[in-house]
Amino acid sequence: MLQIHNRYHRYLNRTGWGFIAPALAFYLVFMLYPIGSSLFLVTQKWRGMSREFVGLGNFVRMAHDQVFWKALGHNFLFMAIQIPLMVFLAMVIAVILHQGIKRFRGIFRTIYFLPVVTSLVAYSILFRILLQSNGLLNNFLHSLKLITEPIGWLNDPFWAKVTIILALTWRWTGYNMVFFLVGLQNINKEIYEAAEVDGASQIRQFFTITLPLLTPVILFSLVTSTSGTMQLFDEPNVLTWEGGPANATMTAALYIYRQAFVLNSDFGYASALSYVMVIIAAVLAFIQIKVLKERN
Amino acid sequence: MAIVRSKMTPGWFFLLVLFVIGAVLSLFPFIWMVIGMTQNPNDVVAGKLIPGHEFALNWQKISTTYETVSFFINSMKIAVITVILGIAVNSLAAFGFEKYPSKARDRVFGVLLLTLIIPQMAIVIPLFKEISFMKLLNTHAAIILPSVMSVFIIFFLRQNFKMFPTEIMEAARVDGAGELSIFVFIVIPTMKATFASASIYMFLTQWNSYLWPLMTILTDKMKTLPIAMFSVMRAYTIEYGGLMILVCISTFPILVLFLAMQKQFVQGLTGSVK
Repeated sequence: MLQIHNRYHRYLNRTGWGFIAPALAFYLVFMLYPIGSSLFLVTQKWRGMSREFVGLGNFVRMAHDQVFWKALGHNFLFMAIQIPLMVFLAMVIAVILHQGIKRFRGIFRTIYFLPVVTSLVAYSILFRILLQSNGLLNNFLHSLKLITEPIGWLNDPFWAKVTIILALTWRWTGYNMVFFLVGLQNINKEIYEAAEVDGASQIRQFFTITLPLLTPVILFSLVTSTSGTMQLFDEPNVLTWEGGPANATMTAALYIYRQAFVLNSDFGYASALSYVMVIIAAVLAFIQIKVLKERN
Repeated sequence: MAIVRSKMTPGWFFLLVLFVIGAVLSLFPFIWMVIGMTQNPNDVVAGKLIPGHEFALNWQKISTTYETVSFFINSMKIAVITVILGIAVNSLAAFGFEKYPSKARDRVFGVLLLTLIIPQMAIVIPLFKEISFMKLLNTHAAIILPSVMSVFIIFFLRQNFKMFPTEIMEAARVDGAGELSIFVFIVIPTMKATFASASIYMFLTQWNSYLWPLMTILTDKMKTLPIAMFSVMRAYTIEYGGLMILVCISTFPILVLFLAMQKQFVQGLTGSVK
């Protein structure tokens, strides 16, 4: 009896491995192997087809690469400004939809979610055309007499950053709103009824009930947006064109791409730079796990 | 009804106006891309909002200069094959991890999750060298193969498989069903919504992917819509009207998918959050 039992367990165990085998094969070839081989890549310097061993030379070179650190700084700048703005907006919209404009909730939810449907390249192109100096937005602002000179949405270093922030907010606010709507639906209505009986105002209810209970959603939104903004690539490459003007919207990922594919085809140096992104991503993930664990 | 009306204070009305403005901002690019298709290039750039009559001309110009139809077919073919292979590979893996528990496999799953934090850029640089060594550059296989296995999809499906009762599997085994047929004939039909969500997510990710095709595809004929739009944009004279056609072609299949399957769509995009 025991023998049959053991044999059956071995059979199930083999089946388990069998089921995950195809995925593991893909994982080994297209994930683990590249990760491993990058350990070799970083020690090399490429000049066209030829390469030479430089040891840690790429890391030394990186330390003096001001454009890269500036690009990385832009990632953090976008994180610091765009993410709080968007998460706040998403939360406010969700709360109002949930409590106030009940009748049109479905239609607003659908419309606000819609921007996520566009491809990053498609919406970047649309924004690029709309934001040209003689484009629709400047014409519109001009006709309202809000501006006298066209704003350089794409050619001014400051406004180009604003453009990226606006574009990201346009595309992702509705996406984050959905998380808040789900979070709000999970809050027990009786808590509000009790607060109502106690005579708590709507504003007070928001700060004492809604906000604390939404904290997990806020954290989740912050976490997912942080990792997305860390990898920001499509918008600065298409919308503000190759990180322009004059590298004002250059991001780390875009700079690495350009090192490997546009400027020098130096894959060793590009790999070394990407290690910095891995380290930052790991630190961010570590912090996030810590924070999420503490909340639970 | 009375309650709704009593809530329509000036404050709420003001909010409603703000929400309508927000909705217009959300919708505007969609409306404008349709109008833009019909205009002559100067009107597109100037952002005129009145439809023109040059759709046929725009189409003719863009499709004589670029392989417009190929772009669509390439994108569709790559996305569909990725979804079919990806759902097969990832759902089997998720099922194996969840319903055949073992310490060793849990450790493997832990390693998979760990690599989830590695930024895409750090993987595609060495991956490019590998793909070029495999002589796969400028093929659609170069785009499809690396995106078949997705740790995120395995994680998503595994979370959902937790809800599938193991007793049903036991009962099927007593009836003599093999493990694979349990999965194919019992699990898949009962979890259609989950599979739909995962498929939509994979389709959308591949349909919109830009960075990796930009690296691996070199000739016009092989291009997908996102990189094709990028090359139209970087041409010396930009065919704005035709570009708007491409933008529409790349947006509307997803839009239709979204409107037809809103629930699964949102679920797929927002992951396992319940």
